[in-house]
Amino acid sequence: MARSLWTGSLSFGLVNVPVALISAIRDQDLHFTQIHEKDGAPIEVHRFCEKEDVEVPYEEITHGYECDDGTQVIVSDLELEAIEPRRTRTIDIEQFVDLADVDPIYFDHPYFLVPASDDDGATRAYRLLTEVMGQTDRAALGRFVMRAKEYLAIVRARDGVLALTTMLFADGVRPTKDVDAATQKSHKPTTKQLNAAVAVIEELTTDWEPERYQDEYRKRLRAVVNRKRKGETIKSPTAAETPSPAPDLMDALERTLAEMTGVGTSTKPTGVTKSKTSAKHKQEA
Amino acid sequence: MGMVRSIWNGTITFGLIAVPIKVHSATEDTGVHFHQVHAKDGAQIKQKRICGKEGKEVPYKEVAKGYEVKGGEFVLLSKEEIDAAAGERSRLIELEEFVSALAIDPVFYARTYYLGAGEKGADAYRLLHDALAKSERAGIGRWVFHNREYLVAIRPLGGVLALHTMRFADELVGPDDVEVPSPSRKPTAAEIKMAGKLVDTLHAAFAPGDFSDAYRERVRELIRAKARGEDLPAPEVAPADDQPELMAALEASLAGR
Repeated sequence: MARSLWTGSLSFGLVNVPVALISAIRDQDLHFTQIHEKDGAPIEVHRFCEKEDVEVPYEEITHGYECDDGTQVIVSDLELEAIEPRRTRTIDIEQFVDLADVDPIYFDHPYFLVPASDDDGATRAYRLLTEVMGQTDRAALGRFVMRAKEYLAIVRARDGVLALTTMLFADGVRPTKDVDAATQKSHKPTTKQLNAAVAVIEELTTDWEPERYQDEYRKRLRAVVNRKRKGETIKSPTAAETPSPAPDLMDALERTLAEMTGVGTSTKPTGVTKSKTSAKHKQEA
Repeated sequence: MGMVRSIWNGTITFGLIAVPIKVHSATEDTGVHFHQVHAKDGAQIKQKRICGKEGKEVPYKEVAKGYEVKGGEFVLLSKEEIDAAAGERSRLIELEEFVSALAIDPVFYARTYYLGAGEKGADAYRLLHDALAKSERAGIGRWVFHNREYLVAIRPLGGVLALHTMRFADELVGPDDVEVPSPSRKPTAAEIKMAGKLVDTLHAAFAPGDFSDAYRERVRELIRAKARGEDLPAPEVAPADDQPELMAALEASLAGR
């Protein structure tokens, strides 16, 4: 199991459940190192003073904040440390909310909480909390401090495990009022159009099976690395054409439905795989 | 209607229906950002790329990306070659399938964007929005953005269409992968009832505005104080936690309310 990133206790009234935090994300990205193309040597990043153009040792570096009027305020490590949040080892549950009321837009990084010890009291308190939250479809909101930063977090039960996700604060989510959502009455679809669009959606509806979707980008990047390793040349793919909006929506809906229902189920996809994309890649040996 | 800057323009299709859209950021980084400064003279710190062999600065165009295939052995790729993995430079998001919006666990959502109606796309935009709202579905497709292809889900949110980039299943640890030791006996009915009561007393409607980032506020305060030439007082120290018996703790928690 993954290494724990934080240990402490989940505190709920006067009940403390000792827990360890583990990440729910596995990094699958390909990581690259900067290399000097000419001689294959790795590139090192050095810090230079812009004024003196000499290298600056790490101890001589401090933090500058540029104010709106262009002036700079210097803040030292010590000053930042002094205002760090209290290093409590608790996740204080402040309230319980209905999970359905919390839009996923607020969810940031997912983690799991596991009991920090095999101690019977600890595992029982953990089990109690998962059962109560699971039964009521409620989630706990609380705060905790990790790596000198305070986080707002939501804790919920997922199949008997406590899942913690750090959350965005309200001011990190932009209002929707400036987005042109075509809300004027003239754009409202007719009942006939709406029903036809719903019918198209229902025709294309399938179960949510996340394992069916593969990271095609990661696969292609790996293929590019492998081909380059064998000494092949890699060329960029060409741009695809963009369809223009149909002048008659109802006509487009009707033709879509006719295609779907008329030609059997051949238009129903088996997964968003886009195999045609890789076929269009121009390859040169 | 006031318009916000769009970061991508293109077309969503489902069936033969094309919906021209604009993509806007839905979230923002509200953190306080500092730049590195040389303490001695207040000058900014500039990072220079230095060749590990020659000890000389390397211009950006001479930088390649190296993928380490085994200890110290790199396959070199130019930026263009890496970009080739992005896929077609498509301006298209094809919604090839739809799923129940509620079936997608929020852990799959990475970043959120808002979609606005694109040129001549108002009717089609509204149709897709209303049809997704009525059917409670999310559309699933692929989106090429910034030289990378993403799996995306499109669903109605607060009167607009939202687009979420998604994490792939193999990037997530599932509850089944997590070991949770079992207690010798299950929580008793009395404990569950009592804990349920405590959850009820702490129950509130979700109001995101109730929570603000206190740390960020303190950093801003520090900057303001420093700008005026002042110092800030040191923070208080946290008390230690103790751990009373489960049932006693539940009772005591409820008694205090």
